[in-house]
Amino acid sequence: MIQVTNLHKRYGSVTAVDGLSFTVRPGHVTGFLGPNGAGKTTTMRVILGLDTPTSGTALVDGRPYQEMIRPLHQVGSLLDANAAHPGRSAWCHLLLIAQSNGIGRHRVSEVLELTGMVDAAPRRVKGFSLGMRQRLGIAAALLGNPTTVIFDEPTNGLDPEGIHWIRELFKTLAAEGRTVFVSSHLMSEMALTADHLVIIGRGRLLADTTTERFVASSGHHDVLVRSPKATDLAPLLVGRGATVNGEGDALIVAGMDAAGIADLASEHGIAIHELVPRNASLEQAYLDLTGESVEYHTGVPSMRGAVDR
Amino acid sequence: MTALDIAADPQSAPRLPVRARDVLGSEWTKVRSVRSTYWILLIAAVTAIGGSTIIAAASTGRAGHSPFEPLEPVFIAWVEYPVLAVGILGVLAFTAEYSTGQIRTTFAAVPQRRAVLAAKAGAVGLLTLCFSELLAFISFFLSQAIVSNHGGLSLAHPGVAGAVLAAGFTLFAIAMVGVGLGAIIRHTAGAIAALPAVIYLPLVLLSLPAPWADRIGKFTVLIAASQVVSLHPKASLLSSDLSMLVLVAWPAVTLLIAALLITRRDA
Repeated sequence: MIQVTNLHKRYGSVTAVDGLSFTVRPGHVTGFLGPNGAGKTTTMRVILGLDTPTSGTALVDGRPYQEMIRPLHQVGSLLDANAAHPGRSAWCHLLLIAQSNGIGRHRVSEVLELTGMVDAAPRRVKGFSLGMRQRLGIAAALLGNPTTVIFDEPTNGLDPEGIHWIRELFKTLAAEGRTVFVSSHLMSEMALTADHLVIIGRGRLLADTTTERFVASSGHHDVLVRSPKATDLAPLLVGRGATVNGEGDALIVAGMDAAGIADLASEHGIAIHELVPRNASLEQAYLDLTGESVEYHTGVPSMRGAVDR
Repeated sequence: MTALDIAADPQSAPRLPVRARDVLGSEWTKVRSVRSTYWILLIAAVTAIGGSTIIAAASTGRAGHSPFEPLEPVFIAWVEYPVLAVGILGVLAFTAEYSTGQIRTTFAAVPQRRAVLAAKAGAVGLLTLCFSELLAFISFFLSQAIVSNHGGLSLAHPGVAGAVLAAGFTLFAIAMVGVGLGAIIRHTAGAIAALPAVIYLPLVLLSLPAPWADRIGKFTVLIAASQVVSLHPKASLLSSDLSMLVLVAWPAVTLLIAALLITRRDA
């Protein structure tokens, strides 16, 4: 269980986290989402006691991380896959972390096996791909068999097989009753992994909800209709209570499903050339939510407008 | 490979106190598992032993020179390079972690940062102390063997054994200053630049008017070290005992400042 309460973190004049409060519960995979620069990493660093908050608290199992003794038995984390000395072998890297928390060599072998890193163990981290470094970082996070795991963008650099593996790992960890807190800036990634979402933008909380509810609440469902007699069809649809937008032969119809539109057109002998029901994707819902809070806008203001609505 | 291999019961986490031995063991693994350690020790050994024998050999050629100071060749060789080598070994203990990001892994594993500082100082200290004493004795015996026909002194001579031990201690003290500097400055290049400034402070002070060079100089690491390794300490400087205190104070103060800063800054 992770509890973040009214957290503020300023670096000089830059406010990275601005009054953030949320709770991450055990037994779920909780996705921590936000655009780049939203404050995800900062929040995780504060939770792990690496950065001191300007104000507010971040507790794991009711305690500040700095007060934990041998914390790896409670919290396993992977913030940065590159946070290892490049000249050290994977085995020594894991061994020294294990030693600091009184964890035996046997467990080092176990996590190497668990992450598929046995063959790489004697090799120096220098020669590892980003995917292997992620696996090494995950191995380190699992050393203490922790009740809470915190991962910052763990799928970066992983191949599809690795991504599949990590998703299954998160689900298994959550099913075992552990607290799993995973950040990502990719909604599509989290949609497949997380069952709960904490979404932030510019250091503020934007949403704290289940993935299912998030999609449902943000959903705008409509139907794209193309017809040579669109101008005839539109008033008929409006007469049935639908909202109609469009120009030329294309109509965007909300408030009626595809079957209803087809039946209505058929009744009036109107030909339909195209009938496409559209659901807002999770990605779209996420963009809608965070659009206003993106820290680093691209220089193309029409980007968002170009997404079909 | 599935996550099911993880031991099942998440509630079984042990809640034992932090043990110095664990953190020290971890820091020891760090020191022994990177190549830089071995390179630095090799270079320190070659320059210390090589330097002291060359200096000893050169001194035998000088007419009328009697080596009343048996540690002189060792000390001169020390000052020329090994002090820097062990100092850099100390510096890297922290800066290698800050520059690679390893420090966040370290502090996440041991949030008691002062325990990490103590363990690092302990691991690097133990290594450099044993290594430096070994070097001091090897260098002493080799250089004395070379000057033996010209009044070389044996270890049994009063004060000699203490002076050899003190010479070893000097390198250890500088390694500890290095650990402190590394923790304070946190950047390899910056800390390595600061290290010679601290060590060679006496050279800077030489430009001061006559009495002041000594008045301030006696509190510097190298001049204090020259007093403790000398059988005939200079009367114008601090006594051997007070010089030893200076030699202990430098690492103590540096590490103390590091201990104050380490918990205040974001990792």
